[in-house]
This record gives sequence, C-alpha cells and structure tokens, in this order.
Amino acid sequence: MRADGKDRSCRLLAGLSLLLACASPALAQRPDLSGNWMLNGGKTVFGAGDLTDEGRRRFEAYDFKTDDPALKCIGASWTRVWLNPNVLVEIAQAADHVRLRYEWMDLDRRIPLVDPTMADPPRGSIEGHPALGRYAAWYDGPALVIETVDVAPGYVSTMEKWAGLPQSRRMRTIERLTRSGDVLTIEITHVDPANYRKPLVVTITYPRSKFELMEYNCTPEDAAVVAPK
Amino acid sequence: MMGRLLTMLLAAGVPLAAHHSVPVNFDQSREVTISGVITEIRWINPHSRFRLDVKQQDGSVLEWLVEMGAANTMKRAGFPMERFAVGDPVTITGNPGRRDRVVLLRTAVLQDGTKLSP
Repeated sequence: MRADGKDRSCRLLAGLSLLLACASPALAQRPDLSGNWMLNGGKTVFGAGDLTDEGRRRFEAYDFKTDDPALKCIGASWTRVWLNPNVLVEIAQAADHVRLRYEWMDLDRRIPLVDPTMADPPRGSIEGHPALGRYAAWYDGPALVIETVDVAPGYVSTMEKWAGLPQSRRMRTIERLTRSGDVLTIEITHVDPANYRKPLVVTITYPRSKFELMEYNCTPEDAAVVAPK
Repeated sequence: MMGRLLTMLLAAGVPLAAHHSVPVNFDQSREVTISGVITEIRWINPHSRFRLDVKQQDGSVLEWLVEMGAANTMKRAGFPMERFAVGDPVTITGNPGRRDRVVLLRTAVLQDGTKLSP
C-alpha cells in the first residue's frame, strides 16, 4: 500500500511539473521588472518621425501656454508620462496583470496580460486621462510589451524641442520594457499615419531608485498658475 | 522650414536634458535677479512656487511668480523649505520665463545672507 501511495505521489508531482512546464513557458521566461525606477540622468533619444503635412500643421499650431494637458493635471501620452524626470515609477508583476504606478499625476496603470493574438483583448484605462487610451500587455522573451490604442487626439510630447508633436485617434503605441541589471529601458513606438510618415520611436532609460513612491496630488487650480496676477 | 528642421532634429537623436518643460517655459540662456517680499508659498506638484512683491523704482509694486521644481523632488533633495516664510525678504536669481514676470529659481538669498539652491 505504501509503495502504491508513493508511486501515486511521484506520478502526481511529475504531472504537476509537466503541467507547469508546458502550460506557462511565458511565466518561466518573464523578465523581473519589479521595483522602483526613476528617470534621473538617464539618456533619452527621439528617433526620426517624419511628420505628414497634417502632423506638421498641428505641431506648428501647438501653444505651450494653453495646450499642455499637464496644466490640467492630465497625461498627454505614455511618452510624456515616461519622460517626466525625478518622479518614481513602481512596477509590480502578477500572474494576470502588471501594475505600473507612476508618481507623476498619481497614474495607477493596471494592465491585463493577454494573448497578443486575441482580436479584442481586455484592456485597462485610467479615468480622466483619455489621451492615454486603452492598453493590454504580454511578455515577449525578455520584454514586457504594452500596446495602447483608442487614444484621444493630443500630443506625444509637450517637452523641449518636441513640444507639440501630435497624436491622433488612429495612433497605436507599443512600449517594450527590458531590464539590464539596474537599468530599465523603455522603447516606445508611436504608429500614427495621420501625423507621421514612419513610426516615431523614443527610447528612455530609467535607473533603479532607492526612493519610495510619494503622492503627487496635482490640482488643476494650482497646475494652471503659470503667471503672476 | 519648421517641419524640415524638426525632421533633422528628430533624426539626430538628440539626448534629452534633465527637466521636462524648462526649455519650453524658460530662457535658459539668460539670468535675472529680483528682490522682493514673499506673499505666497506653495510647496506643490508639479511645480512649487512663490509669489513675490517687487518694488519698482517709482515706488509701485509688481508681483512676480517664482517657479521651482516639484515638491516631491525638493523633499527628496532635502531642500530646506522651512527656511522660507510669507513676509520674508528674499533675492531670487534664475532663468526668466517666456511669460512676463516669471522666473525659474536657481538661487535664493535669504535675509541673513544664506544662499539656497534646489
């Protein structure tokens, strides 16, 4: 009887191991991106975007005094969110989702992990931030891939010489997050035929941070104050 | 012309400087110095600020807005916010804004001569 029980246990363990190995190869290969990261001294590179006529018209019409969504505590695009320096991003990975908590504007981004071949996967979104669209994620080897669609028209960037680069409702954004030691690299590709003849690629590196997440508590009343009375 | 310039800049892959909208909102090639009395202090995100009453040569007073970094950033950097109080005189040196009477604080000199930079 004991031999039978032991045999059954062995078969059960072997079966479980096989099940884990076969059912979740992606789980075994998932990169560990968890932890706290901060843009502080990392390098950022904007690739070539090549504006269409409509994209150029919108870019040249941008007025930083009135058009920056941050004046209303609203995120303009995921590139804009990632480009904010000296604020923390906390990443937590779970079996069925990834949670990215951005200190900037207190953005709490819970992203469902999906099968990328699904026609209409479940997606997350953040209320009050229509330009940040709806997103889903999956793992691709060493990368976490986040796809965002259904963005409201607005701006990919409101910063530096890229302030006013536009985005349309047709834009699809792919973020690829990879880690090498204590550096997180975020490669963001914006595909928006209405505004760009070829994809706009932005690469940002985030060092690991010793700091903890803090509340941001942006209020539109204060954020809109940019001039004396 | 602007479009071609942008395309060239984009293609060059220029590294981004440290802060987000500073070049958009401030002229980093110039500095101004103003002295006045603090009338409001707001340690907030995304930008902390003072309002400063600055006396003009004719005796009139004009308000200036002094912008700083995010309160969270200044806390992490250990900037001594408690050294500032409404009613204190202060001298501010910084980059002028692209709006009138706005300055990005680089150095503050307190009444006792203490120099503080965020």
